[in-house]
Amino acid sequence: MTKLDLSRRTLLQGSAALGAASALTGTAPFARAATMEESIIAAGKAAGPAAVTGMIWSPYLVPMQPVIAEFSKQTNITIGAVQDISIFDAPQRAMAEALSRSAQFDFIHIDSNMIPSLASAGYLEPLDEYMKKASYKSEAVADYGNFMTYGGNTYGVPTDGNVHIQYLRKDIIEDADNKKRFSDKFGKEPAMPQTWEESLRIQEFFMDPSKDLYGSGNLRNRANGVTWWYMIYYSAGGFPFDDDMKPTLNTPAGQYAVDLYLQDKKVNHPEAANWGTPQMIPRIAQGHVVNCLYWDGTAKLNENKEKSKTTGKWLYGLVPGSDFSGKRIVRSMSSPLAAILINKYSPRKAQAAYMALWLGSGKNSVPIVSDPVNTFNDAWAKEHMTSKVVQDAYSPGGVKAIEKNFEVVAPPIYLTGYLEFQDALGKNLSEAYVGQLPAKDVLSKTENEWNAIIGRIGRAKLKKDLASYKAVMPKRLVPA
Amino acid sequence: MAVAAQSTDEVPAQASTREMSRRRAVRRFKLSLLAPLIALFAFVLIPVLMLQLYFSFHQWTVYLSSWWEADFVGFDLFQEVLTDDRFGWAIVRSLSFATGSTIGCFVFGFMLAYLMYKPFRGQAFFYIIFLLPMLTVPVVVAYTAEMMLYQSGPLNDIISRLSGVDFKPSWLSNPHLALFTVGLLEIWNWTPFSFIIMSAGLAAIPKEPIEAAQILGASKWRIFWEVQLPLLRPVILLALVLRFLEAMAEFPKTWALFQGGPGSATETVPVYIFMTTWQYFQISKGAAMSYIVMLMMIVIVLGAIQLLRREKRALDKMYAPAPKAEA
Repeated sequence: MTKLDLSRRTLLQGSAALGAASALTGTAPFARAATMEESIIAAGKAAGPAAVTGMIWSPYLVPMQPVIAEFSKQTNITIGAVQDISIFDAPQRAMAEALSRSAQFDFIHIDSNMIPSLASAGYLEPLDEYMKKASYKSEAVADYGNFMTYGGNTYGVPTDGNVHIQYLRKDIIEDADNKKRFSDKFGKEPAMPQTWEESLRIQEFFMDPSKDLYGSGNLRNRANGVTWWYMIYYSAGGFPFDDDMKPTLNTPAGQYAVDLYLQDKKVNHPEAANWGTPQMIPRIAQGHVVNCLYWDGTAKLNENKEKSKTTGKWLYGLVPGSDFSGKRIVRSMSSPLAAILINKYSPRKAQAAYMALWLGSGKNSVPIVSDPVNTFNDAWAKEHMTSKVVQDAYSPGGVKAIEKNFEVVAPPIYLTGYLEFQDALGKNLSEAYVGQLPAKDVLSKTENEWNAIIGRIGRAKLKKDLASYKAVMPKRLVPA
Repeated sequence: MAVAAQSTDEVPAQASTREMSRRRAVRRFKLSLLAPLIALFAFVLIPVLMLQLYFSFHQWTVYLSSWWEADFVGFDLFQEVLTDDRFGWAIVRSLSFATGSTIGCFVFGFMLAYLMYKPFRGQAFFYIIFLLPMLTVPVVVAYTAEMMLYQSGPLNDIISRLSGVDFKPSWLSNPHLALFTVGLLEIWNWTPFSFIIMSAGLAAIPKEPIEAAQILGASKWRIFWEVQLPLLRPVILLALVLRFLEAMAEFPKTWALFQGGPGSATETVPVYIFMTTWQYFQISKGAAMSYIVMLMMIVIVLGAIQLLRREKRALDKMYAPAPKAEA
């Protein structure tokens, strides 16, 4: 080994030369690269001061405010007038804004599945240029960042993962008596269900309505139930359209999904037909549910001792999959995926875009997604998965489940006319659930209604959209 | 006197000028009163109705073009609406909901008005209590009722305890009960409206026929049935028609509680029009639907006006002075 003979003088001379070289323009390799956050601030400053206006639901906005305050301090871009509109009502309002080409809002915070419809109506500003100027790269887990793209452009910045994870009551399945009873009947101990059939079995076995304990806490109302159906359908190998934009719901995979979807009636609360999250989330957190699939934010609520009676009693995991197609496929869902979109007609779109990017940095969003009181923004970035604060909020098991489910997360109908497609299916599933429509007619009726929608929006247009829909579907059959 | 000196030709001429000037002043006064209404019609209602008419005849697909580029489709949209099963069912639901809740509101409103007919101590307090439901915002009514109406909620619990029977209807998730539930809330919310109208009607009944009937020895029931009720018929009709029209347009409670579900059990006309227009963004179809519903309402109102006129004529006839006997 050669020994370097470096005198103190030589070392000092070398250091001085290196320092001088670093100070010269064009010697970037020697300079500390600006972080993404610094680049966003620089781009924001360059855009100039402004008070941006927006449409956002206050439970989402409140935990964002300290993060926005920091951005405002550094860039003089502040939040101006904000209209507090629920995420469920936002699509209608946003569409009205789009149709009137209004510049009232600089940004809107909305379900990202509205991107195709709003972009087609000409309302959305593509963010790619702003992202380039601010050196912004999506830090979303797995391919989740793709959910913000449509027609080759990026239109949104996520603030809320909203991925479905599986919840199973640990205290119930680990109870010695329960274990024995279950083993005696099925020849194996109860564990986190891997398939839909296993999930139903666990739910049926452990439910006890006399103690107000129901097997399932899945939603089956008209507005939300359809999300659970997609998970079964996608995992059975189904995809709702062929390449020619003809609906392909009425297939064995579709019927399998309808049958499983309706079997939930045996294990769910009798009033589930009209229950949404305001009714079901408290029941989950207060211990009236054995097993369900739910948005990941509920883990944060469950683990909050002040709001839950089931802290520490849950196992969190991957949603069930299916072998229906001949191979195991697992599909989770993220819907509504709340994201910030920018209004193309806004005079302050650059400032609004940089504020959105600031909020969409993994590092900046840690306090937003881990707020224990305003639990609407759920974890979504890679940095969240390793953050101690986030793990404390969701529990380490919860965070692991979120990360796994993100690897196989799918959207609902990611096409122009999303709400219309969605409601037709949701209505027919709901009618079947309450006995107004035979199960065998759900898919044929939905296909007829979808054909009318396709005719109205235009097959050619939707065929173009289909590429974006397929691009956001997960590539893996099961998580790595 | 100068006046006395005026010729006989000049007096009517001056009177006529004064009369004309008075008429002009009256006309100006009437116009000034009507002006805001005319302006509202001209600048707000007419343009909106015209725009809606335009959309009813032009197929506008919001994702593909601007509204002024929409294709003219003639009566196609009206035909589409009239052959749409969902619209047909929505009409049936709305009609049954409006009929049921109107009758409910009227019966309870009339009963309360009759109870309050004669003054008694503390009457003002009861007036306030009876009017309170109408002052409650419908969405608040819906959300409050939701808490009461869960299967294991307070209402079923109270009924079970009082009756000794396990009373467990699913007010909010049974598709056969859902619309009935909204109907009950509508009755609670709007009974005061019928109460006010019927109270005013009862107060306006002339005392003479009632006193005459009392002198002739008629029972209270006969006075009510044969004197008061016939005199109240125009008011009853008005209360029923106004309430029916309002009930046909009920949206906030139905939407807040059900959003059309469970299944399609509460998909009434306003809900379906809202969904078509703002969920499916079929602005043109929504406009055609609105026109059809508006025409339906106009027919109902015109029918009601005819009935009211007939009732008025009958009352006028009843109270017309008897022809003088010939000498």
